[in-house]
Amino acid sequence: MTNHWIDIKNADSILIMGSNAAEHHPISFKWVLEAKDKGATVMHVDPKFSRTSARSDFHVPLRSGTDIAFLGGMIKYILENDAYFKEYVVEYTNASLIVGKDFGFSDGLFTGYDAKTRSYDKSKWGFEMDENGVPKRDKTLKNPRCVFQLMKKHYSRYGIDAVSSTTGVSAENLLKVYKTYAATGKPDKAGTVMYALGWTQHTVGVQNIRSAGIIQLLLGNIGVAGGGINALRGEPNVQGSTDHALLYHIIPGYMAMPHNGWQTYDDYNKANTPVSRDPMSANWWQNKPKYFTSLLKAWYGDSATQENGFCYELLPKVEKGEDYSYMYLFDRMYRNKIRGGIIIGLNPMNSIPNTNKVRKALDNLDWLVASELHHSETTDNWHRPGVDPKKVKTEVFLLPSAHRLEKEGSVTNSGRWLLWHYQVVPPAFEAKPFGDMFVGFMQRLKALYAKEGGTLPEAVLKLDYPDKYDSDELCARINGRFTRDTKVGDKLYKKGQLVPSFAALQADGSTSSLNWLYTGSFTEEDGNKAKRRDTAQTDMQKAIGLYPNWAWCWPVNRRVLYNRASVDLNGKPYNPAKAVIEWKDGKWVGDVPDGGWPPLATGKGKLPFIMTVHGTGQLYGPGRMDGPFSEHYEPVETPVNSNMFSKQLSSPVYKFMSSDMDKLAKPADPNYPIVLTTYNVTEHWCGGGETRNIPNLLEAEPQLYVEMSPELAQEKGIKNGDGVIVESIRGRVEAIAMVTIRMRPLKVHGRIIHEIGMPFCFGWTTPGTGDSTNRLTSWVGDPNTTIPEFKACCVNIRKADKLTELAT
Amino acid sequence: MKIDRRSFMKLAGSGAACLTLGQLGVSLTPVRAYAGDLKISGAKEVVTVCPFCSVSCHIIGYVKEGKLVSTEGDPDYPINEGSLCAKGAAMLTMTTSHHRLQKPLYRAPYSDKWEEKSWDWMLDRIARRIKDTRDKDLILKNAKGDTVNRLESMFLLGTSHAGNEECAIAHQAMRGLGVVHMDHQARI
Amino acid sequence: MPKTFLIDTSRCTACRGCQIACKEWHELPANQTRQRGSHQNPPDLNPNNYKLVRFSEHLDNGVIRWNFFPDQCRHCDVPPCKEMGDVYHEGTIIQDEKTGAVLFTDKTTVFTGEEFEQVREACPYDIPRRDPKTGLLSKCTMCNDRVQKGMLPACVKVCPTGAMNFGERADMLKLAESRLATVKKTWPKAMLADPGDVNVIFLLIDDPENYHTHTVAQAAFGPMTKKQFLATLARPFKAMAKV
Repeated sequence: MTNHWIDIKNADSILIMGSNAAEHHPISFKWVLEAKDKGATVMHVDPKFSRTSARSDFHVPLRSGTDIAFLGGMIKYILENDAYFKEYVVEYTNASLIVGKDFGFSDGLFTGYDAKTRSYDKSKWGFEMDENGVPKRDKTLKNPRCVFQLMKKHYSRYGIDAVSSTTGVSAENLLKVYKTYAATGKPDKAGTVMYALGWTQHTVGVQNIRSAGIIQLLLGNIGVAGGGINALRGEPNVQGSTDHALLYHIIPGYMAMPHNGWQTYDDYNKANTPVSRDPMSANWWQNKPKYFTSLLKAWYGDSATQENGFCYELLPKVEKGEDYSYMYLFDRMYRNKIRGGIIIGLNPMNSIPNTNKVRKALDNLDWLVASELHHSETTDNWHRPGVDPKKVKTEVFLLPSAHRLEKEGSVTNSGRWLLWHYQVVPPAFEAKPFGDMFVGFMQRLKALYAKEGGTLPEAVLKLDYPDKYDSDELCARINGRFTRDTKVGDKLYKKGQLVPSFAALQADGSTSSLNWLYTGSFTEEDGNKAKRRDTAQTDMQKAIGLYPNWAWCWPVNRRVLYNRASVDLNGKPYNPAKAVIEWKDGKWVGDVPDGGWPPLATGKGKLPFIMTVHGTGQLYGPGRMDGPFSEHYEPVETPVNSNMFSKQLSSPVYKFMSSDMDKLAKPADPNYPIVLTTYNVTEHWCGGGETRNIPNLLEAEPQLYVEMSPELAQEKGIKNGDGVIVESIRGRVEAIAMVTIRMRPLKVHGRIIHEIGMPFCFGWTTPGTGDSTNRLTSWVGDPNTTIPEFKACCVNIRKADKLTELAT
Repeated sequence: MKIDRRSFMKLAGSGAACLTLGQLGVSLTPVRAYAGDLKISGAKEVVTVCPFCSVSCHIIGYVKEGKLVSTEGDPDYPINEGSLCAKGAAMLTMTTSHHRLQKPLYRAPYSDKWEEKSWDWMLDRIARRIKDTRDKDLILKNAKGDTVNRLESMFLLGTSHAGNEECAIAHQAMRGLGVVHMDHQARI
Repeated sequence: MPKTFLIDTSRCTACRGCQIACKEWHELPANQTRQRGSHQNPPDLNPNNYKLVRFSEHLDNGVIRWNFFPDQCRHCDVPPCKEMGDVYHEGTIIQDEKTGAVLFTDKTTVFTGEEFEQVREACPYDIPRRDPKTGLLSKCTMCNDRVQKGMLPACVKVCPTGAMNFGERADMLKLAESRLATVKKTWPKAMLADPGDVNVIFLLIDDPENYHTHTVAQAAFGPMTKKQFLATLARPFKAMAKV
């Protein structure tokens, strides 16, 4: 989230799209309804009429996978009706930047496409620079090569008719949403976008969000109270686990994972530290070497020295351009390239696509370590239905884990608030926190390497790894310490003392930090700020519910990101009634500003989007794998065989697998004419591993169901409550039919398309509840993130003669 | 149609005055004690965070004699202000669920059963497995001769259920070992 | 002055926090349920569920209406269940003067099957249930234990959106009227369900029959006249007369 949960109440218009907030983030609706009480319009655009729709002003059903068409139409509407916030667009976004001559777009493809490698040469999409290396601007926005004009041209193709025919949304409904939301383009109005996996889980996931980002920038809704682009984020600590990067492609604090092209510490810094010659641009990432060096110091301690490049050489380097995400991991496992691994607090045998393949792939492991609260489809895969355990070679170590109430530590919510949880009760039985497991085997490995040697033993031996799991002490390590006596301003910090802020981190080895974003969260002065429970606010902060003294939030306790875009060039709030910051008597008041520079009008200011090289909000985003503007492409499995916007049916760069089990239905395949979308349900959590084992929750949602329209049910001879078989080209699943008017047939490309929806929280280890819905879904992924397309695949459905998975 | 149940009362002729419960000498199972101590009276209150979605609602756990007796939303946390959803409300039964794994379990290759083992036994053997895998498979140089020091044949998956501190040391451990296949819920 | 709930269905998201919080506070065991083509589960109130969110959907001129109804005992001002119960076994069902809570005591095991049916039928909202194992009658207790200690009922405390409200009757009536005036602007059909007779007042934004069969006292009896209704209530006296 650029903003935070309470801030939703400040919105004048709320677009809930790609999320089902009331069901999956129920407490968010406390704040949605507060906004509604004050007159905000709440709109829900989603294939299914859900509990969110029921409490919104209106619901607009659309076909899954057509969000870009829908949003592209809105961009066109905003531009052609002059509904955008002109000063904001001119001053704070890259609308005025001139794009280089190499950029072009024709019939669904941007320039630089290589069909052989299915990739773009992004160097074709750069900006034109002046003689000083500063991007050329035309603040009149008239230059035909400026971002604004190119954008206008690009989205001019998203007319109401084509959008309506693609999305299945009536023209009337399209205009209703466009008009209502575009009304937030006024300086004193704010609109917020609440999205979640409904946008990310597509082969165009990143561009779905980019489309919303463009809209928010056009309307001046980023940086303001009640605005922002708000990823609700699904998981219990997914914000924190992403910040700390349990991901292959980054290291903590959103820095790139080293690859083979960056052989030395200097190579890494050179390639990863952006340069801007624009005096108006803060270009915050120019500080990256400080953060990276401090991380290496935290990892390797005294062993990391300037001379040895802070042990950079010991780090693994991925192969440049290679993908090591789930999708590729399980494909390699299926092809017997993986020997063993650790799966904790995750149930991929239920919750990732094409589970028939991944379940088979897991059988190929020699060893597997799992740590869970309960047996799951993953821990017990070796004796799943239809498999003879005597033929499965995997050695399985299943460790009982402690849950949140049984351990203390910090988590980070979607609004980036760092929150402390105390231990309520000791772990049940012999359960232990994950932390004890990591420390447990790492200490043993260190001892083994010290004793026996082995391959590259120094990589393990030089790690400054904790010898016991102590969450408070680790918070201090995350925050970072001085490695020698250091003066910051007037204050002398002794070796071992805590670094007060990331501004004090250094690239010379004098500081360590496991994550620069969290530096400042645990200080000598205030202790561990995750534990703060102070509700004090100034009147200005109170007006928007900022709560700056409750816990702490990254970065530097800034509650609303890019907040300097909420004020004009003189530092005056565009919306004084809901001011986030204000320049008053020579200083900023309110929230912690995005950098303390004075307002731009003083001539000493910096542009507000400090994390981008040019300091501007990116209407044009040349860094993405699939183009600087969003473009509608059909999902990979689609019920139609043409794209109204170009000859390019699906994304030219989506990722896919090619094993014998990775089958895909062809476009408009008559065997699989129905669109399936998948989702969570309020009473269960994701793959259901925990919640199926909580009897009161299982009572409320006991078995796998499939929601479908009465029209489809009639066509298929299915009655409410009937057992049905849902089939894709990859697998079949039993479910109970929930025939409901909340699913509407949609008119798409001139004919009726049916969409059905299923949760994926049920699995065979809870007998009689059903088994993985993801046996139906496909392994195709977004080119930027490799997030799979859970939200749209093609299936068929029929009444079941007999049920086995759901037999009770 | 408006039903006037007062007239029914007269009709029924009961008319008995309502008593405060304190005056009644009856036990009130299943109504539970009304005037006596609540099950949370005198309990220690400990603040925790709901383990489900990332609104991160705060919850107060009530603990008596080391046992969790009840949970409620924390009214002071400015986001949930004491409220919770179905999942957040189910913390007591989540903690007391009889489905919990109780001991470390080991499944030998080709075996058809779990065996109970000690943590030490498990961690010793896990460390041995990791070391053997790493020593055998660590790739020091790629085909081009670049130093890569990576271990492709071992992976970590998970988890957003872990706290920040756990994630930080999980990442450090994996990169220290050379692991490159690392992923979790953020990608699904 | 009794305590009163205001249940504002215009704010309910059916998150079922109340349904679960009730079970957790009262430590009621889970029923084994199955999917029958509805999110409403368990299908009905039962001895292990004093609180149940009912789901009901219909098309209103092509617009989908999905109504949520967090059903529970209305703690009637003059509770017919108690009146009926007293006819057979006085003092088995009681009303707390201080809070107005209508409570089934553990003496309710004395009711015969037929007597229990009479008690159940007397309730215009079809609330009373009986545990077949223990013979106890069961329903919402208003969390009387909590309320006596100045706490909110579990279902009210847990509610995120302000659908569940609880307080002094006068305050709740005031809140009900003000909420009604507000929601009527969007939903002209909005109404309060039997506010004069019950201490659990539902604010409805759709016709009562679009929530549940026993949303309001009237709805339960369909086309019956007042005379016919009273006759139903009087049935036990006929039974007594036979003895």
